[in-house]
Amino acid sequence: MGGKTQSLKQLALQKFKHNFWGVFSFCFIIIVGLVSVFAYVLAPDHSQYANQMHLSIHSKRPGFTIDMLTLPSKIQNTQNALDKLFFGTVNTETEVPVSAFKIKDYTLLYTEYASDGLVGEEKSLDLNAFSKVEESNLVAPKTFHLGTDKYGRDVLSRVLVGARISFFIGFVAVFISLIIGLTLGSVAGYYGGKVDAVIMWVINVTWSIPTLLLVIAITLALGKGFWQVFIAVGLTMWVEVARVVRGQIISAKEMQYVTAARALGYTDYRIITKHILPNIMAPVIVICAANFASAILIESGLSFLGIGAQPPMASWGAMIKDHYNYIILGKPYLAIIPGLCIMSLVMAFMLMGNALRDALDVKS
Amino acid sequence: MTEAPLLQIKNLAISFNGNEVIHNISYHLNANEILGIVGESGSGKSVSSLAILGLLPKKISAVSGTIHFKDIDLTQINQNQFQHIRGNKIAMIFQEPMSSLNPSMRCGIQVEEILNQHTGLSAIEVKQRVLELFDQVKLPEPERVYKSYPHEISGGQKQRVMIAMAIACEPDILIADEPTTALDVTVQKEIIVLLKELQDKTHMSIIFITHDLALISEIAERVIVMYKGDIVEQGTATSIFNMPQHNYTKALINSRPSLQVRLKTLPTIQDYLNNAFTETIVTSEDRAKHHQALYNQSPLLEVINLEKEYISNSGWFGKSQPFKAVNNVSFKIYEGETLGLVGESGCGKSTLGNAILQLDKATAGTIIYKGTDITNLSTKAMRRLRKDIQIIFQDPYASLNPRLTVGQAIMEPMTVHKLYKNKAERKAKVLEILNRVGLSEDYFNRYPHEFSGGQRQRIGIARTIALQPKLIVCDESVSALDISVQAQVLNLLNELKDKFGFTYIFISHDLAVVKYMSDQLIVMNKGEIVEKNDADIVYNNPHQDYTKKLIQAIPKGL
Repeated sequence: MGGKTQSLKQLALQKFKHNFWGVFSFCFIIIVGLVSVFAYVLAPDHSQYANQMHLSIHSKRPGFTIDMLTLPSKIQNTQNALDKLFFGTVNTETEVPVSAFKIKDYTLLYTEYASDGLVGEEKSLDLNAFSKVEESNLVAPKTFHLGTDKYGRDVLSRVLVGARISFFIGFVAVFISLIIGLTLGSVAGYYGGKVDAVIMWVINVTWSIPTLLLVIAITLALGKGFWQVFIAVGLTMWVEVARVVRGQIISAKEMQYVTAARALGYTDYRIITKHILPNIMAPVIVICAANFASAILIESGLSFLGIGAQPPMASWGAMIKDHYNYIILGKPYLAIIPGLCIMSLVMAFMLMGNALRDALDVKS
Repeated sequence: MTEAPLLQIKNLAISFNGNEVIHNISYHLNANEILGIVGESGSGKSVSSLAILGLLPKKISAVSGTIHFKDIDLTQINQNQFQHIRGNKIAMIFQEPMSSLNPSMRCGIQVEEILNQHTGLSAIEVKQRVLELFDQVKLPEPERVYKSYPHEISGGQKQRVMIAMAIACEPDILIADEPTTALDVTVQKEIIVLLKELQDKTHMSIIFITHDLALISEIAERVIVMYKGDIVEQGTATSIFNMPQHNYTKALINSRPSLQVRLKTLPTIQDYLNNAFTETIVTSEDRAKHHQALYNQSPLLEVINLEKEYISNSGWFGKSQPFKAVNNVSFKIYEGETLGLVGESGCGKSTLGNAILQLDKATAGTIIYKGTDITNLSTKAMRRLRKDIQIIFQDPYASLNPRLTVGQAIMEPMTVHKLYKNKAERKAKVLEILNRVGLSEDYFNRYPHEFSGGQRQRIGIARTIALQPKLIVCDESVSALDISVQAQVLNLLNELKDKFGFTYIFISHDLAVVKYMSDQLIVMNKGEIVEKNDADIVYNNPHQDYTKKLIQAIPKGL
């Protein structure tokens, strides 16, 4: 056999590596995670919440290009570099889409862009305040790779920034649900009897309330905002975790090694954390992947209803909400792009969950 | 015999995923005979019989060679043709009667199903036939069993239903794969007698597969001994038993504790292969001398009027019925003694063991350990006491946490009870213990799933003795092991006892093993102590009918 020895964990990992869709989904999720962290670096529009509006070029097709006049902001920006990197820049320049421009005697003459065949207003700008370099950068062509939304904001930037909400709500909700679910589930399963009855009662009551309704109630109680949504979603999802953990512990505590641990005089805490939980992690991990997916869906549902992340914050659900009526107005891409994002991320989590389930199944 | 054999197997080789488990075996089965196949787990005895019925998973197994049943080659025919043979011409009984019956169907219907499949009898005739069959397998009240669900009848009765099912179509061959392993000895005896009678009456052939050589000698006329996928020996039961040729057969016969003489150490297969075994017999004088010293001390543990009551709820409106698993049990155990506890399943012997360990609190009575009553200790004091009273479990596969390495598993109790100063010292001690139980130091970082049953049981023992306990409860500790491994573990337990002065409470259903191990022997039945005396006296002069019945049922061999 040689000196190499493999734990069950390593065996499972090896099996997971052989599952193409599992690894693919895992990589996809990692990429989305990195994108959501560095969203403002990657996004063409790095204003806070990617909220740079150009009303005159609203709801344009993907790939739309236009000359953009950028007027620097007069207000001094006091943000430090890190803040800018992770949370976007506040008070940015004013951007004006132009259809034509020319420079004459230190004055810039330009025509504002107007869609639908209208002719825009002609304006002029005194260039005395600008240096030569600034002058040449004043007007530059800009491409909107995924088009613009109904306020003329860059959809690509909003999708990237919106990934943050979707991704983090998954993490926070799963984290909260794990803490509550593992604790209550273990206590109920391990001690049984009256404790179990009480906890099961709470679980059943929580279970019987429609998820969306419960989240709405919690968000209303805690106030609107995205942190409240994170917590609310987490508070509804612990039920599933607790049920799974309880069921698994009830069967695992009959195992002889648990009796052995009791006979060796270990404390209950040690038995649960070191001898039972590591052996029942497989179904818990699978349910976490599923919860991750459903948290993203619940959040987009809430945003769609308008009680999730509040404008101007970008979130995929809110983007669909803003644009779903464009589907029949010949500009379906406005709603389809964030919809595809939600779908692919949720599917990645589901596929990874399936792969993990197969890998962690020791029986085969 | 001049007629052609009923079943002729030639050069059968079976491999799973390219891993050959049966190497080129050939044997035959004559009409109207009982053929015994004996071997340890993993010797391929079950696999070869599954191949006869074509029940091996198609995707991962490769079968070569021929299996001729009359003039059909069973390796060549397709599933449809097999359906006519399975159950109809060749039938099978499995080991676990508990799980081979469908729990959601009444027993009668399950037997009827087979008749409906293979015969054209009308509904009334079928029922008539089923009742006849139940009568034939000596089920009490066939009418009641016909209407019962499997959970309503006992294990022995379930096995009888299974046999009824197997013989329903009057097959030519009955394959019995360890049909009595899961049953108590007394029930085992009844089933063996039944099978023999049925064979007499119907003249079918039986292939009887078991790991117990003594048992097979009671039923089979011809015996095949298998070892690691090879047939090492075949011949008539008497010749195999009295003049075994192969070392493995010799070891198999002798590593089971003998009921007549008491050897100091049991021979193992390794001993036979190396020819290194010398018999040392413990005489009754040695024993008497040893006992005198033993019983002059004050007892280490005293159990007084111990009771354990379970309350079974029979539905919402039914009255709850108390059931005494352990009833009014008292005994004393002295330091250095081995107390044997024997009884059939459900007699309360394990419940008693758990009560002594305080894993399951007793409902009444006292347990006095070194002068203090331990039934009412605080949790903290209890935890300290755990160091002194330990247990070795039955199932070596389930008693180790699969996520801890061997080293971690043995080191953990030391850490929890704060034995030894630091990690390095503990590790040194673990390596020492590993050596002591006959395992290599390299195993420190290995995981339990890499080991065989016998090795795992050694790991379990190592974990138990890591705490240097005084009293060890061995709860069926060798029941799940093969006979040759069982001998090794029993030897190890005795050796450790000599070295460290442990006191054992040895619980088992196997009277031969308990008799070999113990000084005092307690026979339990239905929660009560039936008989209590020196092990040899209990065996040679049993006073109670129950003990006599138990001793009588042990397969003696030839």
